[in-house]
Amino acid sequence: MTAISLPSLAGNARDLWRRGSASAWLRPPMIFGYVVLAFWIVAAIGVQWIAPYDPIKQVGERLLTPSGAHWFGTDALGRDVFSRTLYGARYSLPIAAVAIVVSVTIGSVLGAVAGYFGGWVDAVIMRIADMTMAFPAILLAMAVAASLGPGLNNALIAIVIVWWPIYARLMRGQVLSIKQREHVESAVAIGASGPRILFRHIVPQSLTPILVNATMDLGQVILLVASLSFLGLGALPPTPEWGAMITDGAKNFYQPWIAAAPGFAMLTIVLAINFIGDGLRDALDVKATRR
Amino acid sequence: MHTKQRSTRFKWRSLVAMAATATLLLTGCSVGAATTAVAKHDLVIARAMDLTTLDPDRGYCDTCQIVFTALYDRLVIVSPEDSKTLQPGLASTFTANADNTQFTFGLDPAATFSDASPVEPKDVKWSLERLANIKGSASYLLAGMTSIDTPDAKTVVVNFAAPNSAFLAIVAASYLGIVNSDVASEHGASAAADASTADTAEDWFLSNSAGSGPYILDSYTANSAVKLTANPNYWRTKPTFDTVTLKEVTDSSSQLQQLQQGDVDIAMQISPDALDQLKNSPTVTTAAVDSFNYTYIALMPGAEGGAPLADVRVREAIRDAIDYDNIVKTLVAGYGKLQGSPIPNGFEGSEKVALPSYDVTKAKALLAEAGYPDGFTISSTYPKIVAYGVDLDLQMQAIQQNLASVGITLELTPVDFSQWADVIGGKGTPITAVYFAPDHTDSSQYVQYFGLIPNGGYVANFASLAGKTVNQAEVDGLTTALAQTGAERTASYQSLAQLMADDVNILPIVNPQLIMAHASDITGVTYSPCCNVDLGALGLTK
Repeated sequence: MTAISLPSLAGNARDLWRRGSASAWLRPPMIFGYVVLAFWIVAAIGVQWIAPYDPIKQVGERLLTPSGAHWFGTDALGRDVFSRTLYGARYSLPIAAVAIVVSVTIGSVLGAVAGYFGGWVDAVIMRIADMTMAFPAILLAMAVAASLGPGLNNALIAIVIVWWPIYARLMRGQVLSIKQREHVESAVAIGASGPRILFRHIVPQSLTPILVNATMDLGQVILLVASLSFLGLGALPPTPEWGAMITDGAKNFYQPWIAAAPGFAMLTIVLAINFIGDGLRDALDVKATRR
Repeated sequence: MHTKQRSTRFKWRSLVAMAATATLLLTGCSVGAATTAVAKHDLVIARAMDLTTLDPDRGYCDTCQIVFTALYDRLVIVSPEDSKTLQPGLASTFTANADNTQFTFGLDPAATFSDASPVEPKDVKWSLERLANIKGSASYLLAGMTSIDTPDAKTVVVNFAAPNSAFLAIVAASYLGIVNSDVASEHGASAAADASTADTAEDWFLSNSAGSGPYILDSYTANSAVKLTANPNYWRTKPTFDTVTLKEVTDSSSQLQQLQQGDVDIAMQISPDALDQLKNSPTVTTAAVDSFNYTYIALMPGAEGGAPLADVRVREAIRDAIDYDNIVKTLVAGYGKLQGSPIPNGFEGSEKVALPSYDVTKAKALLAEAGYPDGFTISSTYPKIVAYGVDLDLQMQAIQQNLASVGITLELTPVDFSQWADVIGGKGTPITAVYFAPDHTDSSQYVQYFGLIPNGGYVANFASLAGKTVNQAEVDGLTTALAQTGAERTASYQSLAQLMADDVNILPIVNPQLIMAHASDITGVTYSPCCNVDLGALGLTK
């Protein structure tokens, strides 16, 4: 180690936590967010012990109104809507999380490379990103999912294809600004290699907005997965995926509980994630804390 | 309709779904007051329409049957009282020769087209030849026709190479309406042998009609409405209504709501679930009537991935593993029947075939005998549509559960209707689910479509591991039946029904009843196997 101390990834992570006071991390909306998100994570992991019925078996008369036996009633095939809704978390949450992690990884790497090396590399990567972003997300995802065929895996691929450019663009902007800073110039001066400078000294410094964005996007991606399933391009029957359940509910107008239960589930989870994301932005955003 | 894959272009499913969402929002805001907003001389009908053309020789869909019947009279018609009896239409007399190869029609001297010109033998000859030569989806109805003679000013003689005792019933089909040949020819229509390429009248038919039916076409807006006005020169009893509008209303719930509000007078696709909402309505009348429509699953060993189905015991096991009664109860709230063979209840030949029964023990034993004691995994691609009140998606999920109980894992892939047609036209799918509604009142159509005969339907292409399959007994049986009449023919169709049931390639699942819901003062709302609903017969209580 040389005498020159440069910010490292670990140091940067500590910085993240230091930036907000405890109160900034524990505002009421965020606490609500933590509780609701924790509930859904627990539900997703332990649903086989929590759910009263098998989500794909006919367990009662069809279209029963909500009652003690069936909290959210039954659907058109006599399946318990409450159990199906709980099981739905098993599909929506992991898929959205994987989609975000993969999109962040691909987008960040490509954005960082584009921003650091510039020139034709930058031009090629960012024009591809621009082209992808020129389409409305839902339309492009529909087109990709439709061409790959229905299924949750294909929906996941479609979402990654739609979502990575957001992070590429964000990361590129960060890299362009941090590249000019003195510590980077120092690293160049002592002969550090390009990739080392990029991934050890620039990228870690750029992660805050990506992290905030990814948290906010998680809710959007849950909705996008549900939208694709709603349109028949995501989950295949009899998978109790929320979007697909809403499609079933839409066919049974006069039994509103069928669509309301998964709708309410999505509402709570997206609201929780948005609260957490907002809180994170406030706690971490440099510009906000300087005010 | 032979499941209509030949011509139907269903709207992209996603658009339907989005429309459903929009409707959800819109209807949520409306106030449900039961009033009769529509003046009764203008009839409005709510219907999810499958129209893509209004050319009577190109169309082939359920809505086509209704519209063509209203616009184009046929030579003979099916009696509203008894679907097995034919009555005079444009032809006041109709006879067949002894061996059913020649059919003679004497035109009614009073018959006129909507432009007041008389219906002449040349129009009949031209119309039938155009239907045959345009090589559209309904052209199969005239297969085997060799020539049409017009010996005098009122007589038409249709000749066939082989006996065709079904022909008089076929002539009553809505696709065999007679077109004013002079008018249509002026606008590019052709009946010549090269009509499939030379005819350019399809666009003209989208905004005009040239028939002798009770109504004439006023306007057509795709995915919105078909408007008809009364034919001022109609040669029989003039229709009660001045105008009839078929309005596109895609889902059952919206149809129900519009009917309750009085925005429409007839709702054609109310689901049995919605029926409860109308039970005590003073302004709306409902009836559940027997239909000849049914949903079925097809088992196709010759399709990609279908090998386990090659053993007939496996197909029998699947047949016995399905809880039909539960499906009827669950999918159509009990408003339906079971059916034993591809020839539906009520059609000649259906009488003696045993209904399917649910027997899990027997199914497991059959699977073990066939070498699949632990079952197997098999895929199913099917169109995600609601056919006559039966949601095929739910039907397949119910069957999926049933098959799971005997160890068979059924992987479901619901697709858009046009995608499904591509699959069926390509490598096939081991198991599919579709529906069938008759084109006319003769049982021959079921053997022609579901029998394992040359030039049969899609099932014959995948009926064994070898792919294309012919059951010679069915080929011979059909030839025999088409040369017979009366009790002999009935016996022949009974044998054919049993032969097709024994193939175990087609498993009828539900024969749903049709839910008729209409304003209480409308009369004549009945279901006809050839033509769906006859708009010309609709009236008002006095």
